[in-house]
Amino acid sequence: MTGTSPGSDLVLSVDRVSKRFCRDFRRSLRYGLRDIASELLGRRRPVESLRTGEFWALREVSLGVRRGEAVGLIGPNGAGKTTLLRLISGLINPDGGSLTVRGRVAPLISLGVGFNPVLTGAENIFVIMTILGLTKKEIDRRFAEIVDFAEIGDALQAPVQTYSWGMTARLGFACAVHGAPDILVIDEVLAVGDTRFRVKCYRRLATMRDAGAAFVLVSHNPLAILSVCDSATYLSAGRVLAQGPPRSVVARYEEEMAGNGAIPDGAAARAVEGSGARIESVVFRDPAGNALERLVSGEPAELWVRGRAERTLEAVSVAVLVREATEGGALIFELQSRDDAGPMEVPTGEFAIRVKLPYCGLNAGLYSVQVSLMEGHFLWMLDQSPTRIFRVGGREGTSQWLFYQPRGWELLTGLDLH
Amino acid sequence: MGQRRVSKANALVAGRDGSHERGVPGSAEEVVYNAESRVRRPRELLAVLCRDLVASRELAWRFMVRDLRAQYRQAALGVVWAFVPPLLLAVAATLASRAQVINVGATDLPYPAYVMFSTALWQTFVEALHGPSQAVASAKAMLARIAFPREAIVLAKVGEVLVNFGAKLLLIAALFLWFGIPVSWTALLAPVAVLELVLLGTLLGVLVAPFAVLYQDVSRALMLATGFWLFLTPVVYPMPGAGAFGTVVRLNPVTPVLVTARELATTGAVSDPWGFTAVCVATLVGLLVTWVVFRLAMPFAIERAGS
Repeated sequence: MTGTSPGSDLVLSVDRVSKRFCRDFRRSLRYGLRDIASELLGRRRPVESLRTGEFWALREVSLGVRRGEAVGLIGPNGAGKTTLLRLISGLINPDGGSLTVRGRVAPLISLGVGFNPVLTGAENIFVIMTILGLTKKEIDRRFAEIVDFAEIGDALQAPVQTYSWGMTARLGFACAVHGAPDILVIDEVLAVGDTRFRVKCYRRLATMRDAGAAFVLVSHNPLAILSVCDSATYLSAGRVLAQGPPRSVVARYEEEMAGNGAIPDGAAARAVEGSGARIESVVFRDPAGNALERLVSGEPAELWVRGRAERTLEAVSVAVLVREATEGGALIFELQSRDDAGPMEVPTGEFAIRVKLPYCGLNAGLYSVQVSLMEGHFLWMLDQSPTRIFRVGGREGTSQWLFYQPRGWELLTGLDLH
Repeated sequence: MGQRRVSKANALVAGRDGSHERGVPGSAEEVVYNAESRVRRPRELLAVLCRDLVASRELAWRFMVRDLRAQYRQAALGVVWAFVPPLLLAVAATLASRAQVINVGATDLPYPAYVMFSTALWQTFVEALHGPSQAVASAKAMLARIAFPREAIVLAKVGEVLVNFGAKLLLIAALFLWFGIPVSWTALLAPVAVLELVLLGTLLGVLVAPFAVLYQDVSRALMLATGFWLFLTPVVYPMPGAGAFGTVVRLNPVTPVLVTARELATTGAVSDPWGFTAVCVATLVGLLVTWVVFRLAMPFAIERAGS
């Protein structure tokens, strides 16, 4: 999908782009000075090697985006997704390869960062929209629409510092979605605002796309990629691992994410030294006792925590923490055995703690689970399992749900009602 | 950053104004980013710079209006803040001079007026000098997220400094009336010298701005340097005679500009026209160079500024 054949619809083509970063901050500043010097002296060239302390944030990444197309970037933290977006936006320089951008690139971020708190909402709209590259005339034309979209009403003439957090975010997004970019780069942002506002944003984005704007979307959430994108790229450690139709790319991503999460046998190394107990495995099983690769919404399941006690443990409790498997993923729930079943006494030797889940209430997606083993009233940590990623398979028509609601339907008429 | 813009037919017009109601595919301008140094293609680089300068006018105006509004809206005393530093310094210097703590020679204006006028000019230079790095620091979050013509924040700062100088003009006018200072027709030329003073400050300020993003040392050193620099500029004392100190003061590029601005506004007799001309020419050439440095260095600075 690289190269720019004349007459093609490509608005963006990324051709074997590489970018190197340095984790050591002081050194990275020194490299910065050196890079500036070689840029000014005309000595800067594509590079093939790394300097001490550097790593490839992106390595020979290629992709192409056409008018009106939405391309998703998926991958674990540190895969280079955001770096790629920053390169596309023209904010930073590539160290190898080239990017060809046709048209205006704008980020979809809450542009609240550019607000001056002392100025009114109206004044700030003009500043932000000008930054997005609109002329006075264009802003005048869209002004009413932006205000209406942001739902700030009477507060328009009040200083932005008097706004609630929600109002500021809404105004920021209203500005962001009323620019006129040819390419909109979206870095996992629509997790802000209430659902109704989010839906409105999505609707507006769809309009922009119909008008020909292309999207480059970064997400940890496979569902977002599946529902929005025409094609997807799976990045890991700066390299493209898979590229193509979202369904196959997402499948590959989920497979690897879930695979990485398995707890190896004898993971004793991370046990709290001398605590007297350790967790050896955390496994999902079906009620018949068979290990489950993945859970299914609404189906019963059990979580087995196996471990070994080196002494008799009085008052053991277990905490099961489930989060969204995204960066800083939201907490979904935390199960505390102490609250539900009271403290447990565990004799020396092997043990297993079984958490029964009458049905899986999680909706389809990737989640992470972490199990902690604690002792006593002060909950001394005995051991904690590594975070494990697992997948929940969904059912038809539930992709927009926040959780899975089991239910049954019944029609009552006539006599049944009495 | 190797950035190349290839205008296609009807590029700018269609890309800018009609992109929302966009019709023609590929009508927008094309930009290529690669790892080649842009200095290698000087003509393209200059074309890009000039286009961005033109494109940044409206944004610069918005930024300036925003910053001035914010500045004056949250200050009960408003423009008074433009007067206070020259007034205070004049009072202090006059007291010190009367008490013979400092010994200044004869000035061509009454001493308090001399100090106040000179301080107002000096302060304007300092604002211009610190402006670019302050502007970059406060716009860092935006710079790290959105690509807009970076010139705009610098231009806005220049405008802001000029407007603030306008406020100081009120003080200067009052001063001239109070002390009954005669004004020569050359006062009409004084704005040229003031503009040059602002440009000189901006030149140096723009040069250090990208490095101030990288290292905090730069801003600190700049602060320190400004304090020291004041003593090497005839602000609280008249032009010194010969001698080592006199030579240093004369080599200070701010000296001819500040002195010329003062002389044009009052006596009309310019003592060092050639020094002034030399600094003007150097400033204009230097501005082009620093502008290129600023543009080329900013992406590297922003890369490390985080987002």
